[in-house]
Amino acid sequence: MAADAQAAPMGPIVSIEGLRKSFGANEVLKGIDLHVQRGEVVAIIGKSGSGKSTLLRCINGLETFDHGSLQVDGLPLKHHDAKAMRALRQRVGMIFQSFNLFPHLNVGRNVMLAPGLVKKAQGDAAALQAHALLQRVGLAEKFDAWPDQLSGGQQQRVAIARALAMEPSVMLCDEITSALDPELVGEVLRVVESLADEGMTLLMVTHEMNFARKVADRVVFMHAGRIHEMGAPATLFADPQTPELKQFLSALH
Amino acid sequence: MVDFTLWDIVRNLLLAARWTVGLSLVAFVGGGIVGLLLLLLRLAKVPGADRGVAAYVQLFQGTPLLMQLFLAYFGLALLGLNVSAWVAASLALTLYASAFLTEIWRGCVNAVPKGQWEAADSLALSFGETMRHVIGPQAMRIAVPPTVGFLVQVIKGTALASVIGFIELTKAGTMITNATFKPFTVYACVALLYFALCWPISAASRRLERSFKNGR
Repeated sequence: MAADAQAAPMGPIVSIEGLRKSFGANEVLKGIDLHVQRGEVVAIIGKSGSGKSTLLRCINGLETFDHGSLQVDGLPLKHHDAKAMRALRQRVGMIFQSFNLFPHLNVGRNVMLAPGLVKKAQGDAAALQAHALLQRVGLAEKFDAWPDQLSGGQQQRVAIARALAMEPSVMLCDEITSALDPELVGEVLRVVESLADEGMTLLMVTHEMNFARKVADRVVFMHAGRIHEMGAPATLFADPQTPELKQFLSALH
Repeated sequence: MVDFTLWDIVRNLLLAARWTVGLSLVAFVGGGIVGLLLLLLRLAKVPGADRGVAAYVQLFQGTPLLMQLFLAYFGLALLGLNVSAWVAASLALTLYASAFLTEIWRGCVNAVPKGQWEAADSLALSFGETMRHVIGPQAMRIAVPPTVGFLVQVIKGTALASVIGFIELTKAGTMITNATFKPFTVYACVALLYFALCWPISAASRRLERSFKNGR
């Protein structure tokens, strides 16, 4: 996972400029500029419908955008170029609210599928990597288990291992604890925190303000399709500048 | 007058039933291949494929199979192609089965949660890899009951090929009736033979469904 660092050019790993996106007549992203540095942890907060998930999903091309540009690791996002998308997506991992494990594959094969197909990782090396990743998320003994035999928290940790198996430079987390029972949130957040500690670039849409405060280097508050306010968590949470952010934060308590 | 024993009737029907089985297999295998290709064109978002395939499906679902058989048999002759009843029936049933199967399977693919596509996409899998390793296996499980149900429809649908003179089970039944003057006996035997073909398939489908539920 450290291999990417030496090839890295300086400058932001994710650059988003003038990004606009409409669903029909409804413009959900109204010009987003965001630059994320290597190793930075960015928490994106905001009301539902503020465009935060859409923004995240634009970064690996799950959503298309209408205007603006987006680059990951110097690779521009080109929707209609399958080869370019495949290259870009190898740099970007994503973890979903609903886990999206492959239910017909056991845990080990969930983790090994993409490296086997995309990076042609085969045999013992692939299995060793999967074991190591499952170990890292605390699920080494679940290699042969089936997704539906695991708790939500365990499934989400497998999903993290699966995303890590592609050795991404950036990890996108889309409300990854929202579908979990409260007592299972901690185990997933601990894994995410360990990723942050190891220097992974993280962009996470989250409702866990305490987690954002603790782990994020920067918090982005989105409102009505724009980045409304942005800053270090200590200042942003303690001293919100705009009435919208004040209202959003007070509604949480 | 010649006396026909029950065995004479059954033996001749059994011989004709081979053609029913053959025609069903051709229709099902051919229809499956064409249907799968049409489905992949649609899923791969090939320009125009969605509309084109939808129109194709509507055409075959919206007209009686009997008309399709007539059109294949007499239409090809009109074009100067002198085709046998066997070829015409195979062609018509293949196209008919492909239209239904592609639509049935599209429903099965749509039943796989969207998150599975997104997970595969975000892991950089190509369309082919996603279909083969992620969506296909899950859609296949869902597809077993409706596909087998349709296979049974096709077997019974081959009876219509008798109208263009193709000698399969039903046509043979008619011919034997004309010789024996025992319509009830003959058609009862015909019905039993259809049942003997279809029932094991339905039973196998139920077993397959159960084994999908238990194992993986």
